[in-house]
Amino acid sequence: MMTIILLMACITFCTRYLFLHRDLPFKVGPKMQQFLSFSAPAVLTAIWVPIVFVTDKGINLDWQNPYLSAAIAAIIIAYKTHNIYYTTLVGMGLFLILN
Amino acid sequence: MTLSTKRALLKGFLDMLPLCLAVIPWGILCGSLAIQNGFTAVETQAMSLLVFAGSAQLVAIELIAGNTSLLTILFTTFIISSRHFLYGLAVRHKVIDQPMRWRLPVSFVLTDELFAFSHHRKAYRTKTRLIYALSAGFSFYITWNLWTLIGIVAGSLLPDLTNLGLDFAIAATFIALVIPAIKNLATLATVVSSGVVASVLKSQGFELWLVAAALTAMTTGYLISRIRGKLEHN
Repeated sequence: MMTIILLMACITFCTRYLFLHRDLPFKVGPKMQQFLSFSAPAVLTAIWVPIVFVTDKGINLDWQNPYLSAAIAAIIIAYKTHNIYYTTLVGMGLFLILN
Repeated sequence: MTLSTKRALLKGFLDMLPLCLAVIPWGILCGSLAIQNGFTAVETQAMSLLVFAGSAQLVAIELIAGNTSLLTILFTTFIISSRHFLYGLAVRHKVIDQPMRWRLPVSFVLTDELFAFSHHRKAYRTKTRLIYALSAGFSFYITWNLWTLIGIVAGSLLPDLTNLGLDFAIAATFIALVIPAIKNLATLATVVSSGVVASVLKSQGFELWLVAAALTAMTTGYLISRIRGKLEHN
């Protein structure tokens, strides 16, 4: 078991470290950099949107879905306040009431 | 310790705090699920201490419990972790001039959560910014291990928190990070396409949904920003 854990640790660490290693035989050009500038919104959204819409039974677009109403509220608060504390508290609060 | 160091440590901790709290259900689940599946307490904690990757850990626990072959476990870990390549590439130009003693710890804690705090133009470029990033990254590391420990010790006594829908906490924190970053059409298109593609692929059970959605969305954003750039030139 410890061997599996150590091998997994190597994999996760290597995926994180690889491109922070200095001697790599390529350079990230300006076009690539521009492409990569979209990675944070892309990956984070790919994580949160399925939490809201995807269930074991498929995509849930029902307006009664508490995930959806709370997410819309959180989006509005995030847009208005730019504050992670307000957004999380209001979003979570509404979600717990509806759920 | 200088004042700016103290401030950077505190700001890193406070910025990451909502995310540290949002992963409580998952941290506890990582601990309790492993124990239920025959891991020892030491093995379970070692996984959080060394692997330190929530989704990879949860999937691996299920696979190991199901007597899956080592190769499959490692390949799955690799697929789930492959998004880290994007993070490394995206922050490379900011971090690469720093000596190894900074780059190594930064890469060790380069999670989804820390990456979310990495877009600032000057991120990782000054000592204060490095201290800020390490404070945020390691406060997440420490709390993740604390939640795992709670799962190990009290997992059998607690209800499965992930069934209560507390996974919404992660959605709420990510919404708080993504929405204010939408400042132009290209980023808006990135976010919309990422959400649609990820939901469709995930609901279809496609294994590579996360990376596929991210790459599609990044391409969309990139193309729109190029087209708009050209239009403005003309």
